[in-house]
Amino acid sequence: MPALRPPRRAGFFMRIAKLLAGAVLAQAGQLHAADVQAGKVKAQACIACHGEQGVSSMQNTPSLAGQPDGFIQWQLVYFRGKTRKDDIMGPIAAALTNADIRDLGAYFSSLSPPPPLTDADPDTPRFARGAKLAQANRCSTCHGETYAGQQAVARIAHQREDYLLKALRDFHQGKRTGGGIAAMPDAVYRLSDEDLQALAHYLARFQ
Amino acid sequence: MKLQSLMRPWAASLAVAALSLGFGGLPSAAQAQDLKHYDSTKPDFWKHPPPDWFLGDETAQQKGLSPKAGPATGMTEEEINAALKNIKLPKGFHISLYASGVLSARQMAWGDKGTLFVGAFGVGNVYAIVDNGGKKEVKTILTGMKMPTGLAFRDGALYVADIDRILKYENAEANLDKMPAPKVVYDDMPPYVAHGWKYLTFDKHGWLYVAFGPPFNIGLPPSGTSQIRRIDPDTGLSEVVALGVRNSVGGDVDPRSGKYWFTENARDWMSDDIPSDKLNVISRLGEHFGYPYCHQGNLPDPKYAMGHKCSEFTPPVLNLGAHVAPLGMKFYTGKQFPAKYKNNIFIAEHGSWNRHQYQGANITRVVVDTKGKRAKASVFASGWIKGKEDFTGRPADLIVAADGSMLVADDWAGAIYRISYGK
Repeated sequence: MPALRPPRRAGFFMRIAKLLAGAVLAQAGQLHAADVQAGKVKAQACIACHGEQGVSSMQNTPSLAGQPDGFIQWQLVYFRGKTRKDDIMGPIAAALTNADIRDLGAYFSSLSPPPPLTDADPDTPRFARGAKLAQANRCSTCHGETYAGQQAVARIAHQREDYLLKALRDFHQGKRTGGGIAAMPDAVYRLSDEDLQALAHYLARFQ
Repeated sequence: MKLQSLMRPWAASLAVAALSLGFGGLPSAAQAQDLKHYDSTKPDFWKHPPPDWFLGDETAQQKGLSPKAGPATGMTEEEINAALKNIKLPKGFHISLYASGVLSARQMAWGDKGTLFVGAFGVGNVYAIVDNGGKKEVKTILTGMKMPTGLAFRDGALYVADIDRILKYENAEANLDKMPAPKVVYDDMPPYVAHGWKYLTFDKHGWLYVAFGPPFNIGLPPSGTSQIRRIDPDTGLSEVVALGVRNSVGGDVDPRSGKYWFTENARDWMSDDIPSDKLNVISRLGEHFGYPYCHQGNLPDPKYAMGHKCSEFTPPVLNLGAHVAPLGMKFYTGKQFPAKYKNNIFIAEHGSWNRHQYQGANITRVVVDTKGKRAKASVFASGWIKGKEDFTGRPADLIVAADGSMLVADDWAGAIYRISYGK
């Protein structure tokens, strides 16, 4: 798929928001536990950008497949509450009920995560630099030994490289805080942009 | 001190990481070398401390323990009702669900016209719960805030503490659907998020009591922290009324004496059983409650006692237990509960994270005289701990309702409960 982002078609996203709102009327309220199948139906509004099976092929747009349930849910809650600000996800999340968010968390966490990126001509020094930075900055303390994420913390293993870099830069520039007591801006504060690039390179390929 | 863990071999780091994910609690001599600790002696450290730093230097004994994130969307009504069936209360008391969908619910305050305002932790919301013909409607009236945990209501205005500012919303109850632009009434407040979440209590003169926690587990507190101030929101003037206070997220004015009482969370990483969290009362302006030198009235800090003796400091009224996390507290001023409960203190204990078997996560009742003597604590409501290290709810605040029942805010379930007697 060609690089579409940032899309200019606000109407498209309003339609998604309305579609979601419609899809959830039958399930509104706090009554139901998470439902993977219901999540799959609701996720039809997400796949245009995040990919058919939650594996994104759109530039600067994350894969959601295999993300921890808690991470998906917390981020949607943050988007809805505007503590995480995004022009596209803000209006979409505004239409979501708690039941929708649970179903979407259950669905995306049930999908197989994307495989590591492989190169015909590996950039070994950059990979090694990324590995060293990941260790020195103790990324695995929160993101897990295999960077698969846990609880409210994101899976970063094999995420799209461009999105990893975008997220790291957003934290670095203070555009994103992480929510709650998470402190990614502090984690990346001392890193140069080259460091961030090496980290993104490594995490997308880590085996 | 150096950040030794930066130099550890990769394999050792992996082992440590696996433990720190919460599978752990299996300390050994080999792992003890890999304990996280931090060097805060460089000024730059303070601008951007490492992300996991505020929880504190690890110890071998407590290694692997970390705070639980909780469910992002709270619990469903079905889940809550099932959990409430397991709550134990004294004979004649009942607990029921008052409102769900109040995500990360923290401090509560009543409006003059019966609106229940509720602050929240990281989701950045403030809620108003109104009664629509017997059905409770939860409105999200403010969004996009940092961490608006503390709020209070006086003379028609809602006051919200959002880490480093106290905001005033005039005529709030008439404008729930579109809150007016706030006025900043006080902002001489440090920006630290860690222990920067607040609890607001008005005294009868209109002064707000506010605790300022140090932005870490243990250390020499940065200026303006580790203290309680009272603030006049009309003039923006304030004074320090207590020193040596760690993380306090609950307090109330004694209806009998006018004194300010407060709960206090003690430091972590010493062990499962020390030091104890505390209930305190300010008897003299400016008195020092011991942090970081002395804990629980009788335990000098292993590193930060620095020659001080516990006898130099004001001891607690009561030690409540280690890692029970006492948060919101209220004197019972209602008429519904039996007479012996009048002016008792009720404390919402949030429960542990830095302990191998969680405790707390209950509502504790304290009977005590106005001088802080003859204090007796007992568990009033319990049953929110699941297994060793999990919850089905976490009480975070309490408030007495007009009919004398008591409401409980639970930030884990994202819910408000009602505890009533008799009916």
